[in-house]
Amino acid sequence: MKPGRPISRRQFIRSASAAAIGTSLLFSGQEMTAPAGRSRVVLVRDPNVLDENGNPRYAVVEEMLDTGIKALTGKPDPQTAWKTIIRPDDIVGIKNNRWSYLRTTAEVENYFKKRILEVGVKEANISVDDLGVLRNPIFQKATALINARPMRSHHWAGVGSLIKNYIMFIPEPISIHPDSCADLASIWDLPVVKGKTRLNVLVMFTPQFHSFGPHSFNPKYVWKYHGLMLGFDPVAVDATGLRIIEGIRREYFAEDRPLNPPAKHIAIADTKYHLGTADPAKIELVKVGYDKESFV
Amino acid sequence: MPENINEFYRNLPDAIAGWKKADPPDFYTPANLSTYIDGGAELYISYDFRNALSVKYTDAARNEIAVDIFEMGSAPDAFGVFAHSRETIDDRFGQGCEYAAGLLTFWKDRYYVSILAYPETAAKREVVFELARSIAGGIGNKGALPPIIALLPAENLLPATVRYFHHYIWLNSFYFVSHENVLNIGNDTPAALGKYRQDGPAFFLLLVRYPDAARAEAADRQFRQKLLEGAEEGMRPTKEGRWTGLERRGDLICVVFNAPDAQTVRAVFARIKS
Repeated sequence: MKPGRPISRRQFIRSASAAAIGTSLLFSGQEMTAPAGRSRVVLVRDPNVLDENGNPRYAVVEEMLDTGIKALTGKPDPQTAWKTIIRPDDIVGIKNNRWSYLRTTAEVENYFKKRILEVGVKEANISVDDLGVLRNPIFQKATALINARPMRSHHWAGVGSLIKNYIMFIPEPISIHPDSCADLASIWDLPVVKGKTRLNVLVMFTPQFHSFGPHSFNPKYVWKYHGLMLGFDPVAVDATGLRIIEGIRREYFAEDRPLNPPAKHIAIADTKYHLGTADPAKIELVKVGYDKESFV
Repeated sequence: MPENINEFYRNLPDAIAGWKKADPPDFYTPANLSTYIDGGAELYISYDFRNALSVKYTDAARNEIAVDIFEMGSAPDAFGVFAHSRETIDDRFGQGCEYAAGLLTFWKDRYYVSILAYPETAAKREVVFELARSIAGGIGNKGALPPIIALLPAENLLPATVRYFHHYIWLNSFYFVSHENVLNIGNDTPAALGKYRQDGPAFFLLLVRYPDAARAEAADRQFRQKLLEGAEEGMRPTKEGRWTGLERRGDLICVVFNAPDAQTVRAVFARIKS
């Protein structure tokens, strides 16, 4: 594990001038490419987000996500920003990832709950789930979904991605596995999720860039990246996250070392399913905060 | 030598350095392996996975060491799944092993073994190694390596990069070739891939053995059409100026990727003993 280089809090850049352009994306279909033809992806990094044991510090997570949501929506404060994403009468499912080695983290989930409650959503209308989404009454009647997970190398899909995080919305996840999960984006067209995703967050605190062994995890191959990525377009966020993973692999292995297998489902989500864009030229990347070794 | 995977459980020590074997073990087949290693099961199934035994060791503080023994269809498949993502050559356990930060994997005969003890400590590492010695010692036979990997010329070959497979997904292991199965690789077409070091970027050699020359010829035609744009000599430069070349010898197809020039491609082909 490569340690991050410490910087002071004062060095943390708070400006998000590149994100000053407002957005009119509201409430539905936000996983689609923005009307202007470019998908905004916000990358927020803070080297202080992890404590000495590698656990996220809630206060820093909250500040990062607030910064990110403002940059994404162009709104001046997080409360206003969240009101453009969630309505008080929404029923909200927060789709996390509970893989034991690398989770969405409680800190990220608790932030969502806090801001969604502030919008006016009843606590009884919010649920966080992963494996049980199809049996979860909140997810069954959800009007809004928040999709959040870490990115990691994956033996069969190339990477575990935001697109892949919806695999639990089908009764037989293994049915989507042929051809290294090429058609994962087809899930996003199912009624249970279609048009409901209001926000995608790729948790890049410690992404995993390589793996071996049946449990697909080794602490040697996680990288303290100290980042979070936000976007309305899951393909754009995943494509940017994938570039970061590839950059880390180049840095670590000191050579081009493509993921094995390639994460083709991200490109196919664009070219075949038109879920969003994987083309960097069509992605407006807004970087906020620590920018050393960002790989994008 | 265990006659079936259940015997490993009986043969494993009941206790070792304060760690006790938990009861009962779990067994997995191709039908339910994904319930244990969701998303990773296809890798094993692509190497003819038969069944697996999962045993836990726990200490007084309820920490856990996970022992997973996979029985594959053959020794070459056990080697293939082991070598799939290895980074180093290490022969301390079985017929080849890899250890990193609390995880040991090794293969012997038709078995692939993983012993996982996170977070790593020096004491746990010793228990992991002792368990590995016990399991490897209980497997009497050594398995044969896939014959096709012996055809990879040794000169400048990086041994830790040798891969063996018979599923097209692994065609892109080091170098992106195609999202398609451009060489019609399948269960009856063993393939070997290796990386070769030289001055400048590495190049790669892929060998695929077909059941007969007709199948090889069909794959040859498809590859030339899709990736070589019908180049007469069977080789062409990429837009980055690196060379891809294909040669067929009866039922064997040889492909060089990322070579610096056509001369290197020809030289590599000349060194392949078929």
